[in-house]
Amino acid sequence: MSNAKERKHAKKMRNQPTNVTLSSGFVADSGVKYHNGGRKPFQSQKGKPHSGTSRQRQTKTSHHSLAESDAKEQSSSRVTFKKKGGWKAGPEGTSQEIPKYITASTFAQARAAEISAMLKAVAQKSSNSLVFQTLPRHMRRRAMSHNVKRLPRRLQEIAQKEAEKAVHQKKEHSKNKCHKARRCHINRMLEFNRRQKKNKWLETHIWHAKRFHMVKRWGYCLGERPTVKSHRACYRAMTSRCLLQDLSYYCCLELKGKEEEILKALSPMCSIDTGLTFAAVHCLSGKRQGSLMLYRANKYPREMLGPVTFIWKAERTPGDTSESRQLWIWLHPSLKQDILEEIKAVCQCMEPTKSTVCLPDPLLTPSQEKSQTDLPTEKIGKKRKWKDDEENAKPIKKVIGDGTRDPLQPYSWISPTTGIVISDLTMEMNRFRLIGPLSHSILTEALKAASVHTEGEDTEKTPHCWWIETCRNPDSVSLHHRQETVFELLGGITSPAEIPAGTILGLTVGDPRINLPQKRSKVLPNPEKCQDNEKVRQLLLEGVPVECSHSFLWNQDICKSVTENKISDQDLNRKRSELLVPGSQLFLGPHESKVPILLIQQPGKVTGDDQRGWGSGWDVLLPKGWGMAFWIPFIYRGARVGGLKETVVHSQYKRSPNVPGDFPDCPAGILFAEEQAKNLIEKYKRRPPAKRPNYVKLGTLAPFCCPWEQLTLDWESRVQAEGESSAASSPGGEESSLRREVVPRAPVPGRARQLPDDEGTPLNGSSEPKGVMDADGPARAGTEGVVGQGATSSLLCVLRSRKLLRQLSAWCGPSSGNSRAAPRAPGTGQQELSREACLSILDRFPKALVWVRLSLLRKGSPEPHTMICVPAEEDLLQLSQDRLYCGPQEPKHSDPFKSQIRKQKKKKLEKRRKRGCAASEGLAEGDPAAGHQPLTLGLWSGPLPVVTSHCSRVLLGFVTQGDFSMAVGCGEALGFVSLTGLLDMLSSQPGVERGLVLLRPPASLQYRFARIVIEV
Amino acid sequence: MVRFKHRYLLCEVVSDDPRCRLSLEDRVLGGLVRDTIARVHGTFGAAACSIGFAVRYLNAYTGIVLLRCRKEFYRLVWSALPFITYLENKGHHYPCFLNTLHVGGTIRTCQKFLIQYNRRQLLILLQNCTDEGEREAIQKSVTRSCLLEESSAGEELSDSGGEEAAEAME
Repeated sequence: MSNAKERKHAKKMRNQPTNVTLSSGFVADSGVKYHNGGRKPFQSQKGKPHSGTSRQRQTKTSHHSLAESDAKEQSSSRVTFKKKGGWKAGPEGTSQEIPKYITASTFAQARAAEISAMLKAVAQKSSNSLVFQTLPRHMRRRAMSHNVKRLPRRLQEIAQKEAEKAVHQKKEHSKNKCHKARRCHINRMLEFNRRQKKNKWLETHIWHAKRFHMVKRWGYCLGERPTVKSHRACYRAMTSRCLLQDLSYYCCLELKGKEEEILKALSPMCSIDTGLTFAAVHCLSGKRQGSLMLYRANKYPREMLGPVTFIWKAERTPGDTSESRQLWIWLHPSLKQDILEEIKAVCQCMEPTKSTVCLPDPLLTPSQEKSQTDLPTEKIGKKRKWKDDEENAKPIKKVIGDGTRDPLQPYSWISPTTGIVISDLTMEMNRFRLIGPLSHSILTEALKAASVHTEGEDTEKTPHCWWIETCRNPDSVSLHHRQETVFELLGGITSPAEIPAGTILGLTVGDPRINLPQKRSKVLPNPEKCQDNEKVRQLLLEGVPVECSHSFLWNQDICKSVTENKISDQDLNRKRSELLVPGSQLFLGPHESKVPILLIQQPGKVTGDDQRGWGSGWDVLLPKGWGMAFWIPFIYRGARVGGLKETVVHSQYKRSPNVPGDFPDCPAGILFAEEQAKNLIEKYKRRPPAKRPNYVKLGTLAPFCCPWEQLTLDWESRVQAEGESSAASSPGGEESSLRREVVPRAPVPGRARQLPDDEGTPLNGSSEPKGVMDADGPARAGTEGVVGQGATSSLLCVLRSRKLLRQLSAWCGPSSGNSRAAPRAPGTGQQELSREACLSILDRFPKALVWVRLSLLRKGSPEPHTMICVPAEEDLLQLSQDRLYCGPQEPKHSDPFKSQIRKQKKKKLEKRRKRGCAASEGLAEGDPAAGHQPLTLGLWSGPLPVVTSHCSRVLLGFVTQGDFSMAVGCGEALGFVSLTGLLDMLSSQPGVERGLVLLRPPASLQYRFARIVIEV
Repeated sequence: MVRFKHRYLLCEVVSDDPRCRLSLEDRVLGGLVRDTIARVHGTFGAAACSIGFAVRYLNAYTGIVLLRCRKEFYRLVWSALPFITYLENKGHHYPCFLNTLHVGGTIRTCQKFLIQYNRRQLLILLQNCTDEGEREAIQKSVTRSCLLEESSAGEELSDSGGEEAAEAME
């Protein structure tokens, strides 16, 4: 049946003799003289010199007369030999004149030919198997497949030949060392160092690699999810115990300079509209961590760069009187490139700082300084030197920090005008995140504040001179004691959520490895610790005092010394084994390392009404090199470790957008979406067409990506079309300056005002606005159109203005006069959902998306890329009549591509493919691209048609995260909807049912009701 | 290995009538054997032997035939062979009989046997030959086959392990 099978068979049989008959020769016999009756095995003889015999052979197959002559020649012999009634040579065949003799030579000839054929068949291996596979079972030996010498000697030659064939050759063994040598510490370290050249490893990499599915992402090797089944366990840990995550891959940018300069430079990048900025009082004092959205300078609300968190170094710290402030901006690695560039631009820090202190390498002379200047600020320069030393002098030292750093690349930049120094501190610190109520207990159990150094002790040999220095200063000692008491107080607090959001606590702790418990155990909250009620109350009310947020972690020199002087695990264990009483507490005295750390409270869920503070916890910042020393003690106290997947789950339950997937307006988000779509399509294509959903038939245009651009565009043109008649051309009002910058698309102007009016257009009966608002549509028309024309391609934006979001969230409620929302609306009070209000919003934010939460009313568990649709009137009607109504069904669509695909399959030629495309042009809304790229069954190919009205219900947006929520007990989803569409829908829905939408997963026809909630 | 085990009957068609050789074809021979089995062993025999029965090799010049049948019932086939007395083709009856040379488990063993057998035949022929010309011709073919063997001897030797493969192939 199959060609391949035939070929395989032919290959197998190529050496086997074929049948030899006379008949074929005989049939053609009549006239032809020489006809070799298809005796393939004999053909080789033909060319042989003894033509006489060969001719004989041929003769007998063909023409008797000729054979006769031959026969005469041989007749003299008259062989009487007759072997078992053997075989008479000669021109037998049909003819009656059969000679009565046989020729021995012919006889011999035939036998000889057969022998050769058989020999060939016997001698040659014709199967596809390897040589050693042809041996009988009992002769096989273990290593035969790769060691030729294990084979019997007669087979060795063939096996050798076989092994040299490329097909059977295994990958070249690069390991030239034996297993034992490879496992030896030095070699392993070398190997590890080599392997982290390409992708950065976190310090906990080896620990993770043993327990996690690792992925390479954003230039790091990160644990994606545990290999054990732990979805629910991780959720429980977040809710009631403690989940630990290694966030060391987060990038830290440091800005140093005068406070005003930094604030001035950064202010265009953020907007007060989206919340607090860098200048927020609490943050500026260094008391709290702040978080905000960064935009390209002066581009708000477009050209988003990404969310960041930041901490200022506390203002007045002992020993630091200089005016210079330090600011750390923490951000996700996928956003780093853009944000770093932008910050450099706004600070005018273009030139890499010149190293003042130490050039790491004498070879790098000033001639190279331009390219090489990385060693830049004092501390960085030193660090670099330290690293270089490590590489030159003792090349087999463990890579700590960033293994992929190019020493020639600058990591610090200075601005000549403003004096701001920007340095990239990525991988210079570890960041561990503890989530959950038990994180207090774990922290207080695992970390003990460093013992203060007293004068009497022997000080000569200790390498921790910075701590001795500090202890000489009574101020610092008292500060340290205050920090210690605050830290002790934390142990009595039940949940990190009780502490003001973003609280920062600095601390200096002893080596956490010293008091490692014998066995892994679970800490329990210790309510007795809470005896100091008064102090606890004060702490909860006021937060940690400003001065307590000081930490030596800000000082790079101290960090460096701490990293360098860490006692190795080996030494520590040896000392432990030398204890007089085995298992007793190890006491190192002044030799114990003192590690400066920073504790930052992470607010959990800050939006919405229920479960506020869920998922709160503490971030621990450590100097590099100390990762594992803190990691293991945390785990020994019962923390469960999560990976990237748990981060996503965490943000999902927090109902906050996940970085970078849920930022469709920032470059990293777009990139992420593209990659995700690519992966999903690949996965989809791996399944056979019959075993995968046909998304074309299901009416899902984009099952793997969310076409936000097109969605917003479609809504604009749709609303415009609705009001086309009314909105003729009336000279428009003025648009805000913002609007002008933002450059809306041409159709924008019309769009906004029509939204309310126009009752008529029954688009699937879904979105006819009620008569609530009318007229006045053509308000400001033309001008914007003119502006829009000249626009570059306008970008979509996500609505992040807190005021507007509050407004919207109030409107989304079931009734417009929501008491709950009213007090929150700032100043003006609750604004009615009116046309003017909508217009003003849309004017400011054309092509905007809104982050919404959707909670399902009844059944259904949404998944990513689920479509959010506007319910039609009859759906709402039916729902009001029947509370148990599940939702409408989407009618099945036809697949216009199916015939095309079939055609393509039949005719592979390009020409024909084109024809097929042309034929289908009528069916599908013209897709010229379809002909050129191979179609996939079940996916829409070519440019998408109008996305909003493709299905029976009008599309409003897409879900980006969605799952069954274990917190709520029903399906819950987060996603974006088009602002235009949302306002259109809200204004058309009656008060009671306002905010109801339909959800439909990409692989289903069933719509489910959900309620839209906007949480601020 | 998991496979169907076969038996191969290496036979020689012996006929006085040279025309018999003309009509020697695998289809004809197969039909002939089948009919004979049916005649001798009845319907059961015919059915039992029809599974896996095939003519694997046939050489009209030397009259060598290789028949394949399942191991379970090869005795039925074997015992039916002597009852073949004539070859029927296109209405002509050519008297002949089948002489079983070898029964083997693989094609390969049969082939090996055939080599030995043919060589022996050639030698006998050479010994009995009286005519000079004839003798020369026979000598030639004998040496040729021997040479062939020589050249492939090493190969054959080294590859005798390939037997198993051939076996598995069947």
